[in-house]
Amino acid sequence: MFFHIVLERNMQLHPRFFGRNLRENLVSKLMKDVEGTCSGRHGFVVAITGIESVGKGLIRDGTAFVTFPVKYQCVVFRPFKGEILEAVVTLVNKMGFFAEAGPVQIFVSKHLIPDDMEFQAGDMPNYTTSDGSVKIQKECEVRLKIIGTRVDATEIFCVGTIKDDFLGVINDPAAAA
Amino acid sequence: MEISVPVQKATVVPKPFIRLMRLLARTLYDDNNLTTLSDNQKKSAKGDSRGNIVMVLDALMRRQWVREEDLASDLKKNSKQVRKILRHFEEEHLVTRYQRKETAKRAKIYNVAVAATAHGREVDNVKLHTQSYCCLDYQHMYDTARLRLQNIKRKLKDELEDKYTLQKYGCPHCNRKYSALDALRLISMEDDAFHCERCNGVLVVECDKLSSKEAVDGGDNAKRRQRQRLQFAEALMDQINRVKDIPFPVYESFPEWEARAAMDARENGDFNTNDPFGSQGVNGSTPMPYLGETKVEVNLRDGKEDGVPSSKPMPQWMIRQGMNLTKEQRGEISQEEKVGGVSEGEVLLSDDNKPSAMGNDNDTYLKETYYAALLQQLEAAQKMNQQESTPDIQSATTCSDRQVGMKSKREDEEDAECEEGAHVSANGAGVEEEEEEEDDGVEWEEG
Repeated sequence: MFFHIVLERNMQLHPRFFGRNLRENLVSKLMKDVEGTCSGRHGFVVAITGIESVGKGLIRDGTAFVTFPVKYQCVVFRPFKGEILEAVVTLVNKMGFFAEAGPVQIFVSKHLIPDDMEFQAGDMPNYTTSDGSVKIQKECEVRLKIIGTRVDATEIFCVGTIKDDFLGVINDPAAAA
Repeated sequence: MEISVPVQKATVVPKPFIRLMRLLARTLYDDNNLTTLSDNQKKSAKGDSRGNIVMVLDALMRRQWVREEDLASDLKKNSKQVRKILRHFEEEHLVTRYQRKETAKRAKIYNVAVAATAHGREVDNVKLHTQSYCCLDYQHMYDTARLRLQNIKRKLKDELEDKYTLQKYGCPHCNRKYSALDALRLISMEDDAFHCERCNGVLVVECDKLSSKEAVDGGDNAKRRQRQRLQFAEALMDQINRVKDIPFPVYESFPEWEARAAMDARENGDFNTNDPFGSQGVNGSTPMPYLGETKVEVNLRDGKEDGVPSSKPMPQWMIRQGMNLTKEQRGEISQEEKVGGVSEGEVLLSDDNKPSAMGNDNDTYLKETYYAALLQQLEAAQKMNQQESTPDIQSATTCSDRQVGMKSKREDEEDAECEEGAHVSANGAGVEEEEEEEDDGVEWEEG
């Protein structure tokens, strides 16, 4: 799920950036530092949408770096248990398959794949129904439901299922090609 | 050991509720039955054996509000263990708890005694202890039971359909367990299999809960267990349906209950000194009437006699000459009381708020106070003696003084001895003076 929230961060800026473009430098550094990171509490920071305020800088003793407290608005993404996501399959093996929904990695184990789909080893390992109409392989898109999340300080990992109504392959570029 | 007060006029709990509670204790909160189906209860059951949970709940069913320490001592269990179980039940909304700060009676009295012997140095060192009381909450219990049953049903259904369960993996070599959430760390790019982090062995898929049990126990056992679970669940549902239309027994809040219990106790004439509620009155944390007396003792040494809370009956040994006290304040025993009988004084002390055995500290304190008073009296007597020429008047004044104070019958051995000593000395001095006067007279005559 996506959220638009305000976060705060203390940015350390080297004195060489001081000048007319101090603010721009600060913001670009903030984006570089923050976007794409993941915190267990808020989830993945997808993008910074605006700066709320930049506080007074504090010169650090000994280093001449200056610390600015910056409040910024950003879009974060945090997966929740029970959430339906669309993801791209990245790896298929006999234990199940891995998929990515943006920054989040999701594992779907074999027993959470419908029973009529069998694992087919080979160059392109895949799960296929007996009639061959549905095939899950690398690069194909699936809709899945998250049944468990593991949230660490800097990492979020999910376990999903496609063994439910309206879940499964939604688009297979390989088949279309 | 303090024994909790039996409920005099308890809110009558209908039998179906009691039955439901018993069922709940033995099914939902019992590790062997339904609880294994949900992860929450596993956590709760950790460290608590089944028996304890059932025992605590059964004990609570027979009581209303009860202090947790008393409950623990009644059950002969560790109070920590009982508190842990109760805290869990509070989270589960089965039990209402009430906490407040109270003075620990004995600790306090002990502190006072210590302070007194140390000449008032530690008067303020009185600690407040948090006491918690607990009581069953039938209304919430009913809701909780329904919610849990619903969850269990859903869980059973999901498990049977094999949906939403995390796949488990185990290492055949080192028996280490993993779940699907560890998949990212376990995956090996070489052979697409999961490898153990410790021994690098290839992990094998473990069957999930129901099927694994079947695999271990054999089909019959699993079926039997399943049947047992269903029976429990059915019994519970029956009971819940039976209870549905009955109004819930609602216990009053703890302060109300305590007030009522205290009143009942008084009506029954039950003035148990160990009774934590009744004798202390509604407000258990009322300051002890004797707390101020340590200060009085200090005043005694200074020779001042003020600042005494006069509303309460004073112990006999505290009452001094010249104190303006009513008869109630002196206490009825004051007339028969003799100061020399320290043990009698102690009996006097042991009213509602003071346990009779106050320990040696208090004993020494009493003696000390008494001797101090005695010394002062002696000094006063000597002064008077020096000032006044005739011993008869002196003795008369002491007598009149005594009538004012409660020590009117202080004809005790020691006292008597001292006074006699005083009299003797006074008389002696008087005699000497007379002799001197006579001698002077003789001299004058002679001269």
